[in-house]
This record gives sequence, structure tokens and C-alpha cells, in this order.
Amino acid sequence: MSSTSVYPTPINAFKQSKRSVLSVIVDNEPGILARIVGLFSGRGYNIEALNVTVVDVKKNLSRITIETLGEEKVISQIIAQLEKLVPVHSATNLANLSESYEAEICLIKIEFENDEQDQKILNFADIYRSRTVQKRQNIVVYEISGTSERINKFLDDLDTIGGIKVELVRSGPIGLGI
Amino acid sequence: MANENEFTGADILLKALKDQEVDTIFGYPGGAVLPIYDAIFGQNFLKHVLVRQEAGAVHAAEGYARSSGKVGVLLVTSGPGVTNVVTGLTDALMDSIPIVCISGQVPSHLIGTDAFQECDTTGITRPCTKHNYLVKDVSKLSETIHEAFKIASSGRPGPVLIDIPKDVQFAKSKYISKKDISFREHRIKAGSKNVDKNFVEELVNHIKKSERPIFYVGGGCLNSGHEASQELIKLVNKTNIPITTTLHGLGCFPGENKSSLGMLGMHGNYEANLAMNKCDLMINVGARFDDRVTGRLDAFSPDSIKFHIDIDQSSINKNVKVNFHTNTDIALTLKEINSFIDSNSIDFGDKDYNNWWGQINEWRKKECLHYEQGDEVIKPQHAISRLYELTKQKDTFVTTEVGQHQMWAAQYYKFSKPNRWITSGGLGTMGFGMPAAVGAQMANPDSLVIDIAGEASFLMNIQEIATAVQYKLPIKIFILNNEYMGMVRQWQELLHGSRYSESYVDALPDFKKLAESFNAVGVRAKNISELDDTINEMISIDRPVIADIWVDKKENCFPMIPSGAAHHEMLLSKYDKENPENQEKGKVLV
Ligand SMILES: Cc1ncc(C[n+]2csc(CCOP(=O)(O)OP(=O)(O)O)c2C)c(N)n1
Ligand SMILES: [Mg+2]
Repeated sequence: MSSTSVYPTPINAFKQSKRSVLSVIVDNEPGILARIVGLFSGRGYNIEALNVTVVDVKKNLSRITIETLGEEKVISQIIAQLEKLVPVHSATNLANLSESYEAEICLIKIEFENDEQDQKILNFADIYRSRTVQKRQNIVVYEISGTSERINKFLDDLDTIGGIKVELVRSGPIGLGI
Repeated sequence: MANENEFTGADILLKALKDQEVDTIFGYPGGAVLPIYDAIFGQNFLKHVLVRQEAGAVHAAEGYARSSGKVGVLLVTSGPGVTNVVTGLTDALMDSIPIVCISGQVPSHLIGTDAFQECDTTGITRPCTKHNYLVKDVSKLSETIHEAFKIASSGRPGPVLIDIPKDVQFAKSKYISKKDISFREHRIKAGSKNVDKNFVEELVNHIKKSERPIFYVGGGCLNSGHEASQELIKLVNKTNIPITTTLHGLGCFPGENKSSLGMLGMHGNYEANLAMNKCDLMINVGARFDDRVTGRLDAFSPDSIKFHIDIDQSSINKNVKVNFHTNTDIALTLKEINSFIDSNSIDFGDKDYNNWWGQINEWRKKECLHYEQGDEVIKPQHAISRLYELTKQKDTFVTTEVGQHQMWAAQYYKFSKPNRWITSGGLGTMGFGMPAAVGAQMANPDSLVIDIAGEASFLMNIQEIATAVQYKLPIKIFILNNEYMGMVRQWQELLHGSRYSESYVDALPDFKKLAESFNAVGVRAKNISELDDTINEMISIDRPVIADIWVDKKENCFPMIPSGAAHHEMLLSKYDKENPENQEKGKVLV
């Protein structure tokens, strides 16, 4: 079924929107996360996922990884705006590096009802090499890591098993240029 | 216990201000800044100017900064004191004005408890400052203040706020002087000091090749200092390239110079906008392709190669894609361009762009700023023209409020030097001009400072007349009184079928009596025969003066590029009609 919006959709605005992962090194100081999040909301940019942790205790640096959507022009503008923030050392679009790696971690709790489901779950868990964190009678908790895409696939596969209950948490992607 | 090398936070603040060579501070006291006021009481290097509302303090600091090239400083209390400056901080951020705002905060142990006059100051001001701090530890105070001044004045300047809880103002620590602080480069973001030689060469080559070049100069040139303006004048003289400036660029290049096309943009000159539309080479010097300047983007200067010099990386390729850019200080870059031309003996003499100037002179024949002054009612344009003629020999600074009068001031008052024209561009803040005049007069006690005002805007910060009177600041408020929020009325006439909803300024005070009640002086011109005498009288009085100039109530500001229209679609008079399709699209824009 198709529905018509009362508002005309500017098709071009979305056409070249693509996913980018930005890696930002910042001084770990009060308010830095608020500055970054505020910059995104204030200027109408998207945050699809966000991850922040101290990575250098001595120098007091944090690395922030942001997954965002936007056409190239918007992404360059985001980078330029990020680099204007006083505590920001650098902001990099990982896609612009010749080599970079991404990973995400997901904890997933699955409740099942019967052996058949258990078998299928086990099978997928095995294929995706997920680690068992905890297993009880009808509950299993896995930890799976890899690219976000891989985790999505795993979740899609689990979806094909009917009648199970899934609860999960994802870190969002983190990335590093080599 | 007492260690003579230790000082209270309040004293550290004063020491740091002295170290930063601050001699004037605009402020308003309250519970959370009393320790600082106590420290101010016992000293004499710092002149405190007591404003009548904190908004006045922040605009005064802006006026002080713009007119002096120094950082403007203000001091306000927690809660309502600081929320009152939010507009001014935003204004300074939009217009890249270096100011430092010190605010008091409730004592540390009460933060987060909804204490009396507590507000989340850093949270509220984060999006409207270049940077802000909450200082929780007095031992960090000295370096925080020095960093704040450095950040406010480096790269693209802007407002910085330092929030100091009351207990930190009492707590003691050592003072660290400015010279003992080593700034961390990534935090200062001063921009590169190395001029991009390729950019320079590429630009000179393009100038040689081009047939229809133009300089498009903005406030960045102002912020780069007087040297930038000197280098720009040299370069224009050498190349004979026409130059247009934005609202904030006025004065960077002498307005009466033959190469000047005046201001461009929504109420810019016909020749300036058409030259931008038809040029083949655009050299953007510290302007940001603001929507007031570009008009409809897809029709903005379609055939030009664009060069952009801007210290702020995020201004490059934001609204308009450019072909070449450099992220370096303007004065340095222009200097390098001039010396490249000289050292390679490049001669533009035979170039002269005769056809291009011929075309521009054709456009000039439209006389887009022409108006008919009858022999009764004063035309607002004429009032500004006369003000200019009667003050141009003096050392004058002009501030403005926001509205038609502001645009007429930009069109009819000519500036020959930078930093003489102080107006709220990016935010368009009514109520800016009068306190800004207070600030400009503090910085330039012997100069003539005039606020060109609208009656509605003036009412927004009218309380600051008391400040001017108290400190014997002989500022002149030159009101183009049309009894309307004229600019609103103009848009309603053009876009909303002349339905003048709430734009008539009813119940106006008698400005002459009002001036007298403040112990200032009021003068008035009701018709053309009184205009010159009134202006001369205003100038001759060495006290604050409010000049109430009654002007034509129905006059509109032209030329005008309506929102959503392109440079070549400008309206020259009320007889020009806008293309109805544009009008519908433009209506939703501001
Ligand atoms: C604080 C603020 N509120 C509202 C506006 C919108 N606005 C722009 S111009 C204007 C009218 C200004 O009237 P006046 O000061 O009399 O100037 P005139 O246009 O009549 O010369 C208004 C309300 C504004 N710019 N600033
Ligand atoms: Mg008015």
C-alpha cells in the first residue's frame, strides 16, 4: 500500500545520503559529549549510533565514534563543525582513509520454548561464532561482535525462528584507521 | 595559614583581567557575584560601567570590541543575570565578535539543587558561545581566564563565557600570569600562519585570464585587522577590479572609492548584485555566502570561478561550492598576493576590464538609490544622507538598531575606515544599537558616536540612556521615527496583501520629554526645513542626545531582492512587481 504525504518530499535531499562513521578525538572534559550531541541536534544532523570512552588516561583523551547519515557535502560540514569545538583534537571520516576497520559488540538474550528452537539458535550462534555468556533452561545470552552488518544479518537470521523472545543491546560501531 | 602568594578567586579574576589589559567592564551585580564586586570596589585599573539591564552589558561589550579591536568584557550574576545575555551572546557568535562574559553561579555544593537563582548556565549558553567553562576548582581559574581571552580573539572570533560558583570566588589559590601559560594549540584553533602559495598563484592567474572579476568582501576582513583592509585597498588599486562588500564588510574598503559598488545582497545596490550575478571570477574575502547575500542559491552567480579566503573552515563550501579556497588569515593572504604580483612584475595596467566597467556603469545609470525628497515630509533616505554630509568630516562611529533605518544607514552612510560601522547582521537584534553605542563611546571617548535607530528598536533597550547619562557618554540616538516597525510593515505590504497586523507602534512616548526625564537632551525635526539644524544641534551638544526625526511613514526600502529570488530579480521600487511564483516560494523564507 502506498500513501501520499501532505508534505512534498524533497527526493534529492535523501538521494545521496549515505552512512558514514566518524572518529573524533577529544579532551575528556565536562560537557564535551553535550557539545557534540548539541551540535548534531542544533544543525539538524543525524546520529544513528554513538560511542564514547576514554582511550588515553594520561593525556585525558576520549575517542568518540559517531555513525551518521548524510550526503558528502553534509558530512564535510559536520567534520568542519566538529573541528571547531575547542576540546576536539581531530575529526575523521573513516571512509576517507585508505584503510580502516569497524567493529560492534552486541549482547543478546534469547528466551525459547522448545528444543527445535534451541537447536536452530545454537546453529546460528555457531555460524556467527558468537560466545555464550550464560545459558539456563530456556534462556541463552550470547555476545557477538563484528561489523554492524554482520550483527544485522545474525539478527535477521534469528528472526526466521518463530516464537522466541529477544532482548538486546548494541554498542554501535567503533572504528579505527590503520 | 595566610599565604601571601595565594589570592581569592575574585582577586585572581581581577589580576587576570589586568594581565589581559582590560580596562573597562560592563556589568550588573547580584548575589552570586558579590565577591567579585567587592574586589572591584578596592581597585582602580578597571572601570566598571553599570548598565541598566544585562542585555545592555553584552551589546555594550560588543560595541566596545567592534570599535576598538579589543576583547569586550562583561560581568553578570547567576540565573536571570545570565539568561538576559543569551541574545547578546548569540549575536556575538553570529557576527564573530570577541567578548568574554563572566557569570556568577550558585556555590558548588548547591549546583543541581534548583537553588535560588540557579540555572544551567553552561547548558543554556553552550550553543550560543564559541566556548564556555564552569570553573569548579579555583586553582584552574587563572589558566581558564587566559585561555578564554585567547579563544575569544583567535581564528574566527566569538563570545566565551566563564561561569564561576560563588565559593570559588572566595577560595584561594596561586595566580598564574598570562606569560606563564602555554596554550594547547588544538584548543586555540588560530588558523594556519602559512599562506598557501598555490592558492595565491592560482588566483593571480585567474585574475589575468578573467574578463569580469569581482571582490566580494565580508566581516572576516574586518576581523583580520586594519592591515587586511590596507592590503585590500592596494590590491584593488593595482588590479582595477570592482569590489562589493557585505553589511559587515562596509568600511573595509572606502565607500566613496570609484571601485566600490557598495553593499550587495537583499537591500544591496543594483550594480553590485548584477555584477555578482554576471561575473566570471569571484574573489570572496572573509564573507560567508549568507542567504541575505546570495538570494536564491541555484541562481547565484552561475558562471563564475569562485575563490574563497576564510579563517573558518566550516564557512567554506557550506552554502556555495567554491573552486579554490584557503583557510588562512586574510591580511597574510592578501599581503602575499600583493607581493607575488609585485615580485613577478605582473602588470594589470593594460587589462583594466574596460568592457566590464562599461557594463557596470550602465547598471549604475539605474541610480538604484535615487529618491525624491519633496519639500515637506522628510524622506528617511534623505535624513541619513544629510547626517552623513554633516558628520563625515568628524571622527565618527555609527551603530544601528534593526529594520529599515539600518538598511538605509548601510546604503546612504559611507564609511572610509573599518570598525566605524557597528550593526547586528547575523542575528538582527533590535535593541542592539544603543548599548553598542555606549560601548563604542567608552572605547572612543573623543569620537562622535551615533546610533541610527528606529523608534520600535530603541524602545527595546531604552533603559541604557541612564547608563550614557551616568558616565557622561555623549552618544547620539538618531531615530528615524516612522511610527511603524517599518521593515515588518514593508514585508506585510509586499507579501501579505498590506494587512498591517500589529506593526503599528502605537502609544509612542514623546522622545523629547523622555530624553529630558533621563537628564539627556531631546531634539526634534518634524519637516525638511528643520532637518539640518536639528542634526547640527545634535552634534554640537556634548551630552547624550535623542533626536526624534519624523520621517515618511510609508517609505519602503529599495532595492530589494525578495526572499527566494535571485540577484537579477531585484525590485527597484514599489512599482516593480515580483514574479508571483517566486513570491509564493519566498513567503516561507525569512
Ligand atoms: C528582538 C527582535 N524582535 C523582532 C525582530 C523582527 N523585526 C525586524 S525589523 C522589525 C521592526 C523594526 O522597527 P523599527 O525599529 O521602528 O525600525 P524601522 O524598520 O521602522 O526602521 C522587527 C519587529 C527583530 N529583528 N528583533
Ligand atoms: Mg520604525
